[in-house]
Amino acid sequence: MTQEHIQSVFDRDLEAIQAHIIRMGGLVEEAILDASKSLEERDMELATRVRDNDSAIDGLEELVNDECARLIALRAPTAVDLRLALTVMKVAGNLERIGDYAKNMAKRTGVLIQMTPVNGAHAALRRMAREVQGLLKDALDAFIQRDAELARDVIRRDRDIDQMYNALFREFLTFMMEDPRNITPCMHLHFIAKNTERMGDHVTSIAEQVVYLVTGERPDDVRPKGDTTSTLAFHQED
Amino acid sequence: MYDTPNSTEASVSQTHIKIAARGVQVHYGEKHALKDVDVDILDKTVTAFIGPSGCGKSTFLRCLNRMNDTVSVARVSGEILLDGEDIYDKRVDPVQLRAKVGMVFQKPNPFPKSIYDNVAYGPRIHGLTKSKAELDEIVETSLKKAALWNEVKDRLQETGTGLSGGQQQRLCIARAVATAPEVLLMDEPCSALDPIATAQVEELIDELRSTFSVVIVTHSMQQAARVSQKTAFFHLGNLVEYDATQTIFTNPKDPRTESYITGRIG
Repeated sequence: MTQEHIQSVFDRDLEAIQAHIIRMGGLVEEAILDASKSLEERDMELATRVRDNDSAIDGLEELVNDECARLIALRAPTAVDLRLALTVMKVAGNLERIGDYAKNMAKRTGVLIQMTPVNGAHAALRRMAREVQGLLKDALDAFIQRDAELARDVIRRDRDIDQMYNALFREFLTFMMEDPRNITPCMHLHFIAKNTERMGDHVTSIAEQVVYLVTGERPDDVRPKGDTTSTLAFHQED
Repeated sequence: MYDTPNSTEASVSQTHIKIAARGVQVHYGEKHALKDVDVDILDKTVTAFIGPSGCGKSTFLRCLNRMNDTVSVARVSGEILLDGEDIYDKRVDPVQLRAKVGMVFQKPNPFPKSIYDNVAYGPRIHGLTKSKAELDEIVETSLKKAALWNEVKDRLQETGTGLSGGQQQRLCIARAVATAPEVLLMDEPCSALDPIATAQVEELIDELRSTFSVVIVTHSMQQAARVSQKTAFFHLGNLVEYDATQTIFTNPKDPRTESYITGRIG
């Protein structure tokens, strides 16, 4: 729908809500990158900044929800306009959750900085975080450009994140089995890895919303579940 | 999730086809007002016709009880079957047809007679009753169906035109219901009513659906969304899209429908 509404104020409302989402997306992408950077570079100041900035993301989510409630009450949107209102509310919720995970990563960075770094883990987590940020960027681009194909591609690519998480899960287990002194940092690192994997799921949810927004239908194929750790058991060999 | 059968009150029940229209065309003199309309109107269902002014929705509605017969320049072609029988067949008496296919108009138009006589008029001219007692009963049940009985039961001999606008419209509905029609056509029945009276008429339409097939023409898309289970969108004399109301308002297939219902220029 590139056509304009007869009531131009309706268009302005819709544009304002989408602008909030774009801003929120920008802040969340930045939080993911900064949190993982603070972890790898042991930058306490940056970690603190990520934690402080989260309230701006939360505030934007509330703003989007309020604006959508107002739009529904006053403009009674239908068809693609209705789908947009429903979509942005969910997308705002997903972004807020991703922001929380980034904040949690920054919190754990504060603890991890005090400890001896676990070989290579911080760099691997940063790579994973960059991957998620790339996916989020594509999901938001798909939203702006109303590109269902790009959104479907994002849904497929979430599998890569899951595989990175599976690999890290095994790695952390091995480290912990090797030396019990690794347990505390590895537990924190594992939570960071798990939370990053969950960020990927929220990005997937955003991409699914985009497919719904553009086509009016939910994506039909059930997304491949790439996280296999819930069925995994490790036995110490001796 | 949003398409589960019978998940909401608005879901369409699988009832049989009450009116089948095939290749209906209407010309008013030189003007081609309705172009090749095919539509199946279901029994015990509220069907809404929406579209901009001059799109042909009222014209089509008026074909369904041969009201266009009264317009000298109008030419109707194609086929309209009511329960499988062609209503334009020469043997069909339009007056009898209109008892079966009742109509309620935009402006309340009660006869300048008593409330009682307004409702009794149809049954009288069609000879539907044998006794005064029977007629009294029809008047009472019709006024009850139109949710007007409690307001007028003590003043049935007062003139119908003395009622409020909303009451007058409900009186007209009672009058239409009194001949026990099978289909009720409503041409913007709420456009002259306030929101409370509109809500009462809409509530009534929903109740009437258990007995009749109701077809409503409305300029209020919110009204179409509220009262109907099926919606047809007309544009420039064409039937552009006809589907479950829920589908039309969440995910219409035709860009012209989308433009119209979302209030975009189109």
